[in-house]
Amino acid sequence: MILSVSGCKKALVEDPKGQVVGAQALSTVAGLNAALVGTYKPLSTTWVSGFTTAAVVAVLMGSDDLTTHPASNKADLREFDQYHVSNLNGRMLNIWNGCYKSIQGANNIINNYKSTTGDAATINQILGEAYYLRALDYYWLVRLWGKIPLITSEVYSPEVLKVGTSAPAEIYKLIESDLLNAEKLMQDKKLDAGRTSKGAASALFADVYLTEGGWPVNDNSKYALAAAKAKEVIDNKAAYGFDLVSDVSTLWQNTRLGTTTSEEVFAIHNCGTCNWFNANALYGSSAMPGEENGWDDYFTEIRFFNDFPAGPRKDATFHTVIKKSDGTTIPWQSDAVKHPYFEKFRAPVEGSTDGSNGTVQMMRYAHVLLIYAEAQARSGAVNDQAYASVNIIRTRAGLASLSGLSSTDFVNAIINERAWEFAGEYTRWFDITRLQLLTQVIANRDPSENVPIGTPQYYLPIPASELQLNPNLGN
Amino acid sequence: MIKDLHAVNGALPITLPLIASFRQMPWQRKLALLFAMLFTFHSFMANAQVSEVSGTVKDEKGITLPGVSVGVKGTTAGQVTDNNGHYSLKVPSGNATLVFSYIGFLKQELPINGRVTIHVVLSPDSKNLSEVVVIGYGTQKKSDVTGSLSSLSSKDFKDQPVTRIDQALQGRVAGVQVVNNSGAPGGDVKIRVRGSNSILGDNNPLYVIDGFIGGDFNNLNPDDIANIEVLKDASSTAIYGSRGANGVVLITTKKGNAEKQEITFTPIFYTSRVIKKMDLLSAADFATTVNTRNTDLGLSPYFTQTQINDFRVNGGTNWQDEVFRTAPGQEYKLGYSGGNAKTQFFISGDYLNQDGIVINSNYKRYALRSNINSQFSDKLATRLNISAIRRETLNTNNQGTGGSVNQALAWAPTTPVRTAAGTYTLVDPLGSIRYNPVALANDVESIVDNSNVTLNGGANYHFFKDLSLDVSFGVDYQNIQGKNYSGPSVTNNIPNASRTSTELFNLQNTNTLNYSHLFNNVHSLNVTAVFEQQKYTSTGFSANANSLTFANLGYDNLALSTTQSAGSTYSGSALISYLGRVNYAYKDKYLLTVSVRRDGSSKFQPTNQESTFPSVALGWKLSEEPFIKKLNLFDTFKIRGSWGLTGSQAINPYATLSTYLSDAFSAANSFNNTSVSSGIVLGNAANPFLKWETTQAEDVGLDLSLFNNRLSFTADAYVKNTRDLLLSLPLPAYAGGGNIISNVGKMKNSGLEFNIGGTPVQSGKFTWSSSFNITFQKNLVKSLGSLASVFSDKSVANAGAGLSTQPEFIIKPGYALGSYWGLKYLGTWKPNEAAEAAKYGNKPGDSHYQDLNGDNAINGSDFQIIGNGTPKQSLGWNNTFTYGDFSVNIFMQALLGFSKLDYTYASSITANADAKQATNVGVLNRYIPGVNETSNIPAFSSTNTDYFESSRFLENGNFVRLKNLNISYHLPKGTIKNVDLKLFIGATNLFTITKYKGFDPESTNAGSGSDITQSIDFGSYPNSKTFNAGVVFKF
Repeated sequence: MILSVSGCKKALVEDPKGQVVGAQALSTVAGLNAALVGTYKPLSTTWVSGFTTAAVVAVLMGSDDLTTHPASNKADLREFDQYHVSNLNGRMLNIWNGCYKSIQGANNIINNYKSTTGDAATINQILGEAYYLRALDYYWLVRLWGKIPLITSEVYSPEVLKVGTSAPAEIYKLIESDLLNAEKLMQDKKLDAGRTSKGAASALFADVYLTEGGWPVNDNSKYALAAAKAKEVIDNKAAYGFDLVSDVSTLWQNTRLGTTTSEEVFAIHNCGTCNWFNANALYGSSAMPGEENGWDDYFTEIRFFNDFPAGPRKDATFHTVIKKSDGTTIPWQSDAVKHPYFEKFRAPVEGSTDGSNGTVQMMRYAHVLLIYAEAQARSGAVNDQAYASVNIIRTRAGLASLSGLSSTDFVNAIINERAWEFAGEYTRWFDITRLQLLTQVIANRDPSENVPIGTPQYYLPIPASELQLNPNLGN
Repeated sequence: MIKDLHAVNGALPITLPLIASFRQMPWQRKLALLFAMLFTFHSFMANAQVSEVSGTVKDEKGITLPGVSVGVKGTTAGQVTDNNGHYSLKVPSGNATLVFSYIGFLKQELPINGRVTIHVVLSPDSKNLSEVVVIGYGTQKKSDVTGSLSSLSSKDFKDQPVTRIDQALQGRVAGVQVVNNSGAPGGDVKIRVRGSNSILGDNNPLYVIDGFIGGDFNNLNPDDIANIEVLKDASSTAIYGSRGANGVVLITTKKGNAEKQEITFTPIFYTSRVIKKMDLLSAADFATTVNTRNTDLGLSPYFTQTQINDFRVNGGTNWQDEVFRTAPGQEYKLGYSGGNAKTQFFISGDYLNQDGIVINSNYKRYALRSNINSQFSDKLATRLNISAIRRETLNTNNQGTGGSVNQALAWAPTTPVRTAAGTYTLVDPLGSIRYNPVALANDVESIVDNSNVTLNGGANYHFFKDLSLDVSFGVDYQNIQGKNYSGPSVTNNIPNASRTSTELFNLQNTNTLNYSHLFNNVHSLNVTAVFEQQKYTSTGFSANANSLTFANLGYDNLALSTTQSAGSTYSGSALISYLGRVNYAYKDKYLLTVSVRRDGSSKFQPTNQESTFPSVALGWKLSEEPFIKKLNLFDTFKIRGSWGLTGSQAINPYATLSTYLSDAFSAANSFNNTSVSSGIVLGNAANPFLKWETTQAEDVGLDLSLFNNRLSFTADAYVKNTRDLLLSLPLPAYAGGGNIISNVGKMKNSGLEFNIGGTPVQSGKFTWSSSFNITFQKNLVKSLGSLASVFSDKSVANAGAGLSTQPEFIIKPGYALGSYWGLKYLGTWKPNEAAEAAKYGNKPGDSHYQDLNGDNAINGSDFQIIGNGTPKQSLGWNNTFTYGDFSVNIFMQALLGFSKLDYTYASSITANADAKQATNVGVLNRYIPGVNETSNIPAFSSTNTDYFESSRFLENGNFVRLKNLNISYHLPKGTIKNVDLKLFIGATNLFTITKYKGFDPESTNAGSGSDITQSIDFGSYPNSKTFNAGVVFKF
């Protein structure tokens, strides 16, 4: 009953058993690796943040490969389709929050890896992946929002509440330097299907250069760098473990199942059978028609579909015959929204689901080939390798090879090829943006599509929740 | 026992020669020995008698009085009556005079006159206010209380079947607000004493059960309660220091009665149903409406006329009827009490089995208590209270956005519950995107089994009449087993299950030294000093399995599954306290109470660990003054005032440390389609400078009673200012998101409380007794440091992407907690406003929101405070009419002055991200171009946006409710030999007067601890209308 004063003091000392506390968390390789897992995680926390729900197609819906249901319950998706996005729109938060949370994780590794003791090669690999992820996160943010806060510290300080935004050119500087580091530090091949590698870093680098060649950076010298970087990846594809899957249908069957393919340069792998919050909710219900118990979140625009050249690729891409609950089938022209749906984003097994194992293809080897073709054409002559790069994809799609085109026609053909090959795959909107195609894309829309409201915008508004905490972001 | 003491005293001559060795002893032992000798000497003096007198002390009603001090006039000799009112005293001579004194009773002096047996009847000195009330760490004569406290005894709620303490408190205590957030049996309840002091912290009052601090009222069988005291002002709560700011509810459990052996047995039967159902479209009307909407939006009609005709004839699914039911319940209470002069016991048992009004929900409670008091000697009294209780809940949390209640409004009436094959319809083709409401109840098991054992023992030793030491030890052990299973129909055919286990182990030791003496018959002094220590430990682990191989094995075989994960947790904290209190009264007229407590808590860094909480209170009993006495009007007339500081620890352990999140949801990632890797993610930013929240409270009060105590009146006015308010400041997502906790804010609560009680009619066999109380409560956020406002850090109701994009609540200086953040709805755009509407991309018939900044766009900058969800007034009116053996209790309760954000209605009248069609009949009255252009329910239009967070869905939450109606008949004594029988029937929530459109104005999704969110309703579990009938058998 009688305790000495020092005894009392002792009883009041906290013992945070079971908690991972402070800086020592990263002192071991295992800790650093756990922090890396936590850096990937925000990119695929189902429903909450990242790229595994319809949020990722929502923010790109201004594009002509994507549209949504015209009726009221998809109001938040229609805002993107109609270029009239309120800063209250909740869909964009998944991307904004996911990327920035991942950036914080990467900053933590990049700024603190020196305190980690252990195998240097392992530490380098982890560090390289962190650099890659930070570059990827900023690349997505800068293309969607333009001017954004540039944060390179993981530590909270009151100053961070007053930070302003940085111009895209500033952001691209960091992306380039991160990708240089990422290439240097990582092994050629991925350690696991959902992780990244030197090959993936170089491929992303090529894509970044290509984008910098266009709007808003408009640095033409980047096209040559893009071509060189893409060629480097193509030349080393065996070392990096990249190659095309021989037919489109197998590619998408495996993608929907979550089975790894050689075509993945960087992909988010999901395990819906593990946890609901590790599931892919972008495929399945979200992409399916109401008649088939889907949610009608996203499907393709009519003109885009009509222009899409027929062949096995078109068959693998679109779902055009809708099966009603009574077993009868109707053509897409007669479904409720009178639009064709995506086949490639359906559930791996027929029947409705919003929690599959499907893989989200962030970048495919086909991207590398077409980046090379376009960048080569823009920075020099349309050479044989440029033709070969596009023709192997056209052949797989069941189309005739290209030949003898003018440089402009060749570039236009590549832009179209990209739209078709990557329909619905987070590519077309960024092409429209970097090449400033919005006016012609809107003009080309079928009159029955959702009508734009106000002046079409390339960039999204900074989320209201962020502005509220830091009004400087509005400046 | 006295004889035993003699034996000890007999040892004295042996101990005396040992004095020689005294000098060599260590000082502790010297001290101990001196103490021992002091007591021995004291007893030795008492031994110098020549004769012995004994007897029993009783009150006017013949009830024995324990604890009466019996002294011999002119000497220090004396003792206290034992639990049976017995005394036995050696007196110096047969001519001496005995003095009997007892708090609340008139002192009596009786010459012995040679008698050996003297029985005494003491009469109360002031009829009503002589009762003793329990205050923190002691008791006090009610008339001497200087602080503001309200007392309830079990007889105040005996006419209502009470299954939990909140039902006893609700509406009966001024200044206490009780809101049944969830109507599930055993569901969440919010109890507030004088408002909300903390933004971040828990605002629930502190519960002290038989001296054990921090008890859980859920683990208390209300039938075991003898008295409840609600301590409200700082003078009475500062004694609980860092945990006193939210008020303190002191609960004393029943004790046995030596005079009366009694067995009571009470079976009660209940039947409950939902208070009301929403008015939803029939299947045929729904189908017609869907077709109309599709046509209006340029889509193909969904239903054929044949289908509609078929629905017209055969009906569809009434989802409300599918998920709600008439729910039976039963309760059996058994009480057994008695004892003898030295030892008394109270033993009770309780079994409650209550079905919820939502299908497949249930609450069971098994309770056992044994309270034993024993008078070991005239100096030493011991006690041991043992309580064992087990609570089992099944699916009582089936509520919210994706719960059965809300989904019953979202699923289309045209969709059948089951397919032709007999399995649950998994997907609603045109209504909700979520799971089948019936499957959500029947294919889900969410079980919490909570077993609690409390041991509370102590000993009280009277060194001499005025000085006593009380030592008590308390152990509170809780074992919480969670079992969860979600079947194939609610998991996309990936059934999962989990088990959780939590063990809470709390220890308390309290050592109280009390000295009380009346000096010169005018200075009454009572001094209390306490040293107390507490330790809280919580450990837990969980195991989850996904893709169960055999769904039917559920949580009983987690290994048979595709993936498993496990987790474990630990949390510990400690508190060490010193406290003291002085109660002083001069001539029983002028009263002073001073108290101080010093608490040290492990939750803070060493520099901020300790804090001191003082208080002072003054009282003046005017009714003791001659000039008032002369009026011959007041039985009681007292004014009192108090000031004090109390604290709140409002934070969880480890909040000053920077920790990582490591749970699977936050940090585990899948790098392939077969497994997940565990990881760590930076958690909330840490603030090492955290300290206590401090509430400074002032109170003035008035107690009156008139007409021979037939009318009593109490009024209190108070102000509570909380500083160093802990705030969880949301950080921008670009900085990693989450929150940082800081001591930055200031908040004020003020209010007025009135309580009038009396017996308006008392004639012959008819009595009407009535008690009315009303509380006016005002909360005001004064400052948030350098911040202009803070938002609730997540949208509680989670209305779905795109519809609840902003937090629903804002905290802003100048406004009360619970301020709704939203758009102001101005109705629909009208035909003459087409041009203006077009600027917003709208057309007539679309929703028209106020464009606050005039930028022709509706966005975040147009959000404003649109209302408040904190009730400003609460009142209760309790009436008991007795005629002979009949008794009728009518108890009305009301909450007034608040709004509810009615997402329940909103989700049923709009087509939204979660439910693709409106189901509410209100939609028939929508704006129809050229037909119904005055309606403010928007038209079917692809340019319309329904924002849930808007004044369109803000409703007046005021309600008046007949909380209890009970009719009882007491069979005349002797009707059945040796059995005393009472029959009763009753009803709770029989009717509710409200304009609220949802199910129940009282239920809400807001949690019971925090007050940032208030009154919002999105498919919360509604309260029920319950009928009961029972019998009380007394043997």
